Amino acid sequence: MVERDKRKPADQDPAVNAEMAAEIELLVHELAEVREQLSATSEVLAVIGRSASDLGRVLETVVESARRLCGADAGQVLLVDGDRYRLAYGSGMTAEYREHIANKPVVLDRETLAGRIGLDRRTMQIPDVLADPDYGRTDAQRVAGFRTVMGVPMLLDGDVVGVLSVWRTEVEPFSDRAVGVLTAFAAQAALAVRTVDLVRTLESRTEELGRKVTQLEALGAVGQAESFSLNLTEVLNTIITQAVQLSGTDGGSIYEFDEDAREFRISTVFGTSPETFDALRRSRIGLEDTFLGKAATLGSPLELPDLRDALPDPYLSVLDQGGWRSLVAVPMLREGRIVGAMVVRRHAPGHFPQEVRDLLQTFAGQSALALINAKLYRQLERQSAALEVASQHKSEFLASMSHELRTPLNAIIGFSEVLLERMFGQLNERQDDYLRDIWSSGKHLLELLNDILDLSKIEAGQMVLNRSEFSVRESLEYCLSMVRERALQQRILLSLEVDPEVGLLDADRLRFRQVVLNLLSNAVKFTPDGGRVDVRAFMRGQDLVVLVADTGVGVPAEDRERIFDSFQQGTRHSEQTEGTGLGLTLSKRILELHGGRIWVESEAGNGSTFGFALPTGSGEPASTSVPQADLESGLPTESAPGPGPTVVVVEDDRRSFDLLRVYLEGAGARVVSARDGKEGLDTVRRLNPAGVVLDILLPGVDGWEVLAQLKADPKTAAIPVIVVSMLDERGRGFALGAAEYLVKPVGKEQLLAALYRAAAMPERKHTVVAIDDDPLAIELVRASLESEGWTVLGAATGQEGLTLIRERQPSAVLLDLLMSGMDGFEVLEALRADPDTKSVPVVILTSKSMTQQDKERLQGRITYVARKTEFDLSGLAGLLRWASTSRQPPASESG
Amino acid sequence: MTHVILVVEDNERNLKLLRDVLEYAGYDVRVARTAEDGITLAVKEPPDLVLMDLQLPGIDGMEALRRLRENPRTVDIPVVAVTAQAMKQDRERALDAGFNGYIEKPISVRAFPDQVRGFLSAGAEGTE
Repeated sequence: MVERDKRKPADQDPAVNAEMAAEIELLVHELAEVREQLSATSEVLAVIGRSASDLGRVLETVVESARRLCGADAGQVLLVDGDRYRLAYGSGMTAEYREHIANKPVVLDRETLAGRIGLDRRTMQIPDVLADPDYGRTDAQRVAGFRTVMGVPMLLDGDVVGVLSVWRTEVEPFSDRAVGVLTAFAAQAALAVRTVDLVRTLESRTEELGRKVTQLEALGAVGQAESFSLNLTEVLNTIITQAVQLSGTDGGSIYEFDEDAREFRISTVFGTSPETFDALRRSRIGLEDTFLGKAATLGSPLELPDLRDALPDPYLSVLDQGGWRSLVAVPMLREGRIVGAMVVRRHAPGHFPQEVRDLLQTFAGQSALALINAKLYRQLERQSAALEVASQHKSEFLASMSHELRTPLNAIIGFSEVLLERMFGQLNERQDDYLRDIWSSGKHLLELLNDILDLSKIEAGQMVLNRSEFSVRESLEYCLSMVRERALQQRILLSLEVDPEVGLLDADRLRFRQVVLNLLSNAVKFTPDGGRVDVRAFMRGQDLVVLVADTGVGVPAEDRERIFDSFQQGTRHSEQTEGTGLGLTLSKRILELHGGRIWVESEAGNGSTFGFALPTGSGEPASTSVPQADLESGLPTESAPGPGPTVVVVEDDRRSFDLLRVYLEGAGARVVSARDGKEGLDTVRRLNPAGVVLDILLPGVDGWEVLAQLKADPKTAAIPVIVVSMLDERGRGFALGAAEYLVKPVGKEQLLAALYRAAAMPERKHTVVAIDDDPLAIELVRASLESEGWTVLGAATGQEGLTLIRERQPSAVLLDLLMSGMDGFEVLEALRADPDTKSVPVVILTSKSMTQQDKERLQGRITYVARKTEFDLSGLAGLLRWASTSRQPPASESG
Repeated sequence: MTHVILVVEDNERNLKLLRDVLEYAGYDVRVARTAEDGITLAVKEPPDLVLMDLQLPGIDGMEALRRLRENPRTVDIPVVAVTAQAMKQDRERALDAGFNGYIEKPISVRAFPDQVRGFLSAGAEGTE
């Protein structure tokens, strides 16, 4: 159009034409300039859009464009830095000038153009600095040679944050248009400065939040009720406040998702009236029927530019009544599951820029973490409360049962003693004999009662070992003296042989005697008159071994295992008066508490030898027993020592240790505690563990010393040591040979990552293949396992499951037995026939009741059977963790 | 002089056992089947020693001890718990409450008279 206009009038009156032509020429020129200016501006805008956080790039574009458009020899951006200017970007100037101005910066005074602009906050030009009597920086002028200078202030909220200026080395003042160009660009430069500021603030806030959340994570695991819940509210409040402020919106809220009710519950708000908050709290914000639910289901931020254009729902109508017009809803997801949602709102309608949505997603991630921790914590709290109640009921029951039984026993034992003491006259032989029977039966009942109390103490984890050092020989002699009278009566020969190298033992002396006495009295009881009982004690490596051999009736093979189990007795003594009762079970448990074990060797009719081994020193168990099944649920208890790599944790603070232990055991490690530096050194030398987690501030020998000694000893130098300390002295730690150095508080992932890196533990794959033709069953499994960090691969048929198992090599398989097509038994057979899959642990999860035939078919092929109907899915993760670390299949069944 | 021992016990058989054993050992035995009766008896005619069951109908042994200690006539009488409560914390609780001793049931008929003698002489030392 311009081109056409230019030619058309030129064909008419020449004089007019010439004048017009000149004017047109001018216009065209001007237009071209404006165009160039526009394109430069848009270029600047584009750069700002692309690299908002890269101030250097933005300033470069601004200065270069300004210099070109203004036809200047040089251009620069000076940023205010206290009472002076700093050269942020310069173009067309020599290195000498840059150095000069760096050494002697421009100050905010009237001597320079920039100084005056800073003070007066307006655009200025000095047509010739040499002609300006007030100009004071002739030193700089001599170096750069500028004559005409022009600059505009960079204003933010009325404050001068910098100056954009250009100069010419000839005296040639800048046009008004140049002033306009420069003004527009200065505004852009100022905005860029603000953006960078914002981004920096955002980064530091995000970092701060991240730190808080990490701290919270650690806190949650320890379980500090009050401070924890306070911190959750505080964290969520901080998050929503920052999210609203940094996104430039008017208000916002965070919602927690209730999976059971499939609805959102409001947790916290910012910039929202109490009435609206209350209304949000009272309304049901369902997953299916609200805008919030829609965003959550979608899994990504969803904006609503105008509430009035949307279909009304219970949630939106509350907001509408509260005067809100537009919002963005950001779902909070964790491993694919909805945890909650974050919303920011405005009173005015309109779209939300992409940056705002990105920003909100970061915040939503943080909130999700905080909410999950809170949820886990509440779950933990509920469970421990329930456990406490159950255990209290049990204790009360035991106490009252003990009281009820003791009262009649008192009469039985007491009156028989009164008569046996001949308090009321002589007895004939038969009376005496019967009274002894009454008395010893009463005593036996009393022993059983005491054993039951002891056993339940052990089951409840309440038995505390009272360790001290004592002489093994003296204790054995004491026990022998206790049974000597009875042995004499039966003409049984007692002998004791203690190897000279057997010395002191660090154990609970009374419990040790209880075990020995139990074995001895059993031996005497079951040995016929004229037989013998031999006791031997010797060292086998680091273990003390005690053998009690008798010439009694022996233990038949089928009884040898279950003789140590509660309420089971061999049949060898059915004709005799007393059984072993709970004594062996109790002995076994006491030995296990000491880290020892018990066994029996016997041939029916040829006597038996009961033996036990105890680690000497203060050592923790060297036991290899599979985790004990919990009485109620049939699940292995989590605290049982796993067969995983041993990690010694040297830490004097009980709470810190508990936390580290939870983390490590969760990853399958066997954790051994050492409370101070000396114990740490001893334990590491004795156990040669896969790794050491070391605190620095320890009583006595400190962590530095422990580290130095471990690294100086060729036997222990190769064991990776992970320092976990309050002290941030990484340099010193690494210099002394630490494999990793973590500063407290340490999170689970951080600790495990360090152990994996240091190769102290193999990283575990957490994958399980669930085979079930009922999709709901797979969903249930998925729901309970994914939150525990497992990946669940579902298969609807046996064939599909087999393919998945071969491809993915999972750490465990969950298998339904009753399926259409290929059933569970066939899957199992196929798995066991293939060398690649034959050792994968299989947990049967079925609603089928097991027939004897079924059990035989499964024998030795599966790791565990759990019934669907009775099975508590919350324990599934623990069961799988256990199954996937124990490759030997102790086929047992719950229920 | 024969020592007077007051036995407070609600179980008839156990009461009979304690009385027989103590009388055989030569003590003058008074009995009460409730704490209230025991306190009344003790105030009327203070004994040298009280053997007190802890679980009693009405007010229990702990409360009975408190009342005996409140009355100037009975404040110095040694009181020993004789009980079938065998939990470790029961013993601690009783001794903390101020019982002079704690004998667990079932009693040993042979050892019981000696235990009682011990409390009597300790009490005598304490009051003189």
